[in-house]
Amino acid sequence: MKLKQDQFEKLYQTHYPKVMRLCMGYVKGEVDLAKDLAQEVFIKVWENLGSFRNESAVGTWIYRITVNTCLVQIRMKRSSQDNLAIDQLRASEEVAGYDYEKHLKRLYACINKLDPTAKGIILLELEGLRQKEIAAVMGLSHEAVRVRIHRIKNKLTKCVQDDKL
Amino acid sequence: MINFEDLKTQWAKQPEAKAPENGTKSIVVKINAMRKKQLITNIVLVATLLVLIGFFFYVMAYRDQVVLWGLVTMMGALLLRIVIEIRGVRVLSKLNSGLDVQQFKMRMIRFYQQRKAVHLVLTPLVLLAYCWGFVRLLPAFKANLSAGFYTYILVSSVVLIVFFTFFIGNHVRKELKILKSLKQT
Repeated sequence: MKLKQDQFEKLYQTHYPKVMRLCMGYVKGEVDLAKDLAQEVFIKVWENLGSFRNESAVGTWIYRITVNTCLVQIRMKRSSQDNLAIDQLRASEEVAGYDYEKHLKRLYACINKLDPTAKGIILLELEGLRQKEIAAVMGLSHEAVRVRIHRIKNKLTKCVQDDKL
Repeated sequence: MINFEDLKTQWAKQPEAKAPENGTKSIVVKINAMRKKQLITNIVLVATLLVLIGFFFYVMAYRDQVVLWGLVTMMGALLLRIVIEIRGVRVLSKLNSGLDVQQFKMRMIRFYQQRKAVHLVLTPLVLLAYCWGFVRLLPAFKANLSAGFYTYILVSSVVLIVFFTFFIGNHVRKELKILKSLKQT
């Protein structure tokens, strides 16, 4: 038990920032929601730690749990207010001008408009994972990931530029 | 002109979220609380079942065939629905989240397809069985209860059944929506 606790503590300290950032991407940057999701992720890490067989790198395993947890929670809680963030953003920009935080919010809003698989792929790409690792997390072939990343990058960049997707 | 590399730089510039102090302790506390809640739920369900069985013998329902089958059908239908619901929650919570996203999605689809079969076939049957059992009991209620209490039972039961039908219907709609979204992506 003590060994498991030590191992878990180490994993938690090492991977929390990455998990949190990925979760933020799934909830349009809403910190409290992302914290809840991150906690849910680490509950699953704790519960499944005993059955982790080192078949994949521990980082890949945690990313899988994160993407799966976020997808499940978002499907369950999906609201009709998906377009709200970007609309509110447009209105506030007209008054306050353009700065880093708003640009980031726009990026979150554009990510939020992607389908769930595309969202997972691009968030992992933004996190700097290699395409091979993204393929291992998503369960897609390397080639499929390569093609999809290219398309999603264009779509996302266009959205941030034009407010359209 | 913004390009993707700019977005990536912007993403990387985000302040790093530090792991909360005592974060792991709060997780262990939450896990223990979840287990405790599950235990309490099980105790409540077993206690309810025991009370129902006790009531069944207390009113000597086994003496009257009509009352016997009415009660057995209502209790059986309710019990079956509860067992299915608990099993569903357990299966969902035990799905291996460490699988890759595609495999996990396939398992989720399988789970929700099974739930769809439950919702579209078994749930209406359970509801019908419950109503049938209730209707069978009505003559016994009428014969043994005052007119006012009989009317109260009749009206409140109909309201309750309508409420639960809408409640279950809403829940089913949500799950079918999840299944549709899983299949689309």
